[in-house]
Amino acid sequence: MHNFGPDAIASYLAVAAVLFAAGVLAMATRRNAIGVLIGLELMLNAAALQFAAYGRFRLDGPDIQGQTAAVFVIVVAAAEAAVALALLFAVYRTSKDIDLERTRELRS
Amino acid sequence: MIESALFWICCLVTLVGAIGAATVRNLFHAALLLGLCLAGVAGLYLFLEASYLACIQVIVYIGGILVLTLFATLFSSDIMGAVQRTPIWLRLAGLAGAGLAALVAGRLAQIGIAHAANLGRQRSEPGTVPDVIDGTQAIGDLFVGSWIVPFLLAAMLLTAALVGAVSIVKRYRRPADDTAGPHA
Repeated sequence: MHNFGPDAIASYLAVAAVLFAAGVLAMATRRNAIGVLIGLELMLNAAALQFAAYGRFRLDGPDIQGQTAAVFVIVVAAAEAAVALALLFAVYRTSKDIDLERTRELRS
Repeated sequence: MIESALFWICCLVTLVGAIGAATVRNLFHAALLLGLCLAGVAGLYLFLEASYLACIQVIVYIGGILVLTLFATLFSSDIMGAVQRTPIWLRLAGLAGAGLAALVAGRLAQIGIAHAANLGRQRSEPGTVPDVIDGTQAIGDLFVGSWIVPFLLAAMLLTAALVGAVSIVKRYRRPADDTAGPHA
C-alpha cells in the first residue's frame, strides 16, 4: 500500500497545494506586474490540476468531467492573459514602466 | 519502476519551476521557470490519463501564455530586479506563507494517508479509461451536450476578452475637426 505515487490522489493534491502557495507568494511579493501575472498563472494551473486529479480518482471510477472543467480553467487563463497583456501595454504607454507601486493611473 | 521515476521527475520539475518562478529575482528567469513548471504539469496530466489536457497545456500555456509573458518582460525597465528591494516585512510574510503552505501540504498528506488507500486502489483496468481519441471525443460530446451552457459562456468570455484587449490597447484619435481640444 502506498499513498504517494502515480496512483494516489494525495500526490497530485500536494503538488497542486504547493503550486497554489507559490502563486500566492508571487502575487503578494512581486512589485512588477509580470511577476503578479506569473503568480496568477501558477494558481490557475493548480486549480486545473486539482480538477483533473479529482476527476481521475473518483470513488465511482474515472470520469471525464473533471478534465472538461479543467479545460474551462485553461480557457479563463488564456482570456485573462490576453487582457492582462493589453493592460500592461496601456500602463507602459502612459508611465513607461510597469512597476505596480508607481503606477497610479491608466489615463495619460 | 520507470513509471514511478518519471512521475517523481515530473513532480520535482513542477515544484522547482513553481517555487523558482515565485522567488527568483530576475523576471526573465522567472518566466522561463514558469515554462518548466507548465511542462511538468503537462507530464502530470499524462499520468492522470488526460492526454487531451496535456496537449492543451502545451499548446495554450507553453505556446501562448508563456510566450506572451516572455514578450511582456520587455516592457519592464527592471528585469534584473536590481532596483527592486524586498522590504523585510514582505520577506517575513513570504516565510509565513511558506510555513502555511507546508502545513497545508502536511494536512493533505494526512488526509491522503487516511483516504488514498481506497482511492488509489482503483487503478483503472486497461481499456476502461478512454485513450487519446476516445477521451477527446468524450470531452467534445460533453461540450455540445450537458456542458453546452458553460461552453457558450466560455466562447462569449473569449470574445469579450479579445474585444476588450483591442479596445484597451487601441490608441484613441480625436476627430480631425476637433482642433480646439488640448490634445488635438
